[in-house]
Amino acid sequence: MARVTALGQAALRWVSILAVLILWQVFAEAHVVSAFLLPSFSTVSVRLYHDVVSGDMILAVALTLYRAFAGFALAAVFGVAIGILIARISVMRWFFDPLVSIGLPMPKIAYLPVFILWFGVFDASKILMVTFSAIFPVIVASWAAADGVEGVLLWSALSLGAGRRQLLWEIALPASMPQIFTGLQVAMPISLIVEIISEMAMGGEGLGGSIMTEMRFADSPGVFSGILAIAIVGAVLVKAMELIRRRLLLWHPEALAG
Amino acid sequence: MTGISFHEVSHTYRPPRSAPTLALERVSLDVREREFLALLGPSGCGKSTLLYLLGGFLPVEAGAVTVAGKPVTGPGPDRGIVFQNFALYPWKTVRQNILYGLEKQRLPRAERERRARELIELVHLGGFDNSYPAQLSGGMKQRVAIARTLAVDPAILLMDEPFGALDAQTRALMHEELLAIIRRTPKTVVFVTHDVREAVYLADRVAVMSARPGRIKEIVDTGFAGEKGPALTGTRAFADKVEHLWDLVRGEAILAQTRRD
Ligand SMILES: Nc1ncnc2c1ncn2[C@@H]1O[C@H](COP(=O)(O)OP(=O)(O)O)[C@@H](O)[C@H]1O
Ligand SMILES: [Mg+2]
Repeated sequence: MARVTALGQAALRWVSILAVLILWQVFAEAHVVSAFLLPSFSTVSVRLYHDVVSGDMILAVALTLYRAFAGFALAAVFGVAIGILIARISVMRWFFDPLVSIGLPMPKIAYLPVFILWFGVFDASKILMVTFSAIFPVIVASWAAADGVEGVLLWSALSLGAGRRQLLWEIALPASMPQIFTGLQVAMPISLIVEIISEMAMGGEGLGGSIMTEMRFADSPGVFSGILAIAIVGAVLVKAMELIRRRLLLWHPEALAG
Repeated sequence: MTGISFHEVSHTYRPPRSAPTLALERVSLDVREREFLALLGPSGCGKSTLLYLLGGFLPVEAGAVTVAGKPVTGPGPDRGIVFQNFALYPWKTVRQNILYGLEKQRLPRAERERRARELIELVHLGGFDNSYPAQLSGGMKQRVAIARTLAVDPAILLMDEPFGALDAQTRALMHEELLAIIRRTPKTVVFVTHDVREAVYLADRVAVMSARPGRIKEIVDTGFAGEKGPALTGTRAFADKVEHLWDLVRGEAILAQTRRD
């Protein structure tokens, strides 16, 4: 029964996507607006296919993913470290608490000009822009997770012969993993979004960069095929994070239940 | 040497945003080497607190807690503890949970695995080696927690209502297992419970605690040291002992109840 509903829901998702695509196609074919303003889905798909076959799209996706992942990885490593340190060391909490409160809700992309000024317009500044945007949810999730580790887990480890230094790696970190991973799942789409916006603003190829180039050449099917590609890449990334979560947190009730 | 001594021990909890609680007040208690002592008292009277002080998890702020004459300064594998809520590592399987303490000792791998196997059999969890705690029933989790603690073979065993989550039948089985384990590798045991029959059945002596702030109200010798076994529970002497302890506990339980209201 649960299985049937799950399948049904998966199908429903495709139904709604399909409906939008059909509407798009019908509306475009009706020529209510010009093909330049709204090229049809079939035109855009053919264009996307050609861009993939020619290798242009592969290159753009690879470049965007490389920078998004690099920024994400830095945010993950430093975000988890900072979050756990805040939870454990009162000086760190005193220092970072106000900064995180201000930084978390702030639109980090507003710093783009500063990043360009400081780090130029090449890979380094895009990667750091991504890190800066993605690190806050990771810090907050890791902080909350480390704060919430049950004291008796640490106590039992100590009484089984663990040293204080082993507590972090062997107990606190694995106990915090579900919440930390939730933070990473929030940070992943942020990384992709910020990377693409940075490319649009700074240039430098990639998915965002090539859309802006195509727009300058009034290549509207090119723009739309870029948007389609972004949608697909984003959906794949989110799904991939879900799958990794399931594998990594095999022990968690949520995985065991499914 | 595993004799335990509490001397005039008091403990106050000071939660950051609420009033302090005096949990223990001038508790003095001696546990002899290789003795099985049960701590009996109403809920909230400070039984767990007493155990945590002995385990070295809470700082001793007033009075002295010593093991073999030396003050307790922190947790250590000489004092194994089974916590009330299991405190299992949810990301480790049954086998990995039991192996954790063994990995801290410098045993060869094969030896560790052998001991883990033995313990899994001992607590009747064969076939669940690779299950995660979330897949186990309360009673099974409790048995994993006991096996994990026994794995490092502590000279002193602290147990905080370890059989509270078990059904009566499993509990009776676990009683026999525990007594068998202690016969095989003698230990000093401090066993917290609020079950009078359990205390009388398992312990050499029963320390009855008063309602909060916890004090030792009376220490009762059960006097059944040599004759433990299922037959004991049917005897007149056993029933009398249970009755006597019930009388002591009843007053405190009522007191604890009225204070909570
Ligand atoms: N961490 C804590 N902070 C504040 N009060 C606590 C804390 N732990 C226990 N207490 C209080 O101390 C008293 C004794 O608790 P405890 O030792 O757990 O009792 P028992 O194990 O006998 O039920 C109780 O009144 C309880 O509310
Ligand atoms: Mg308790």
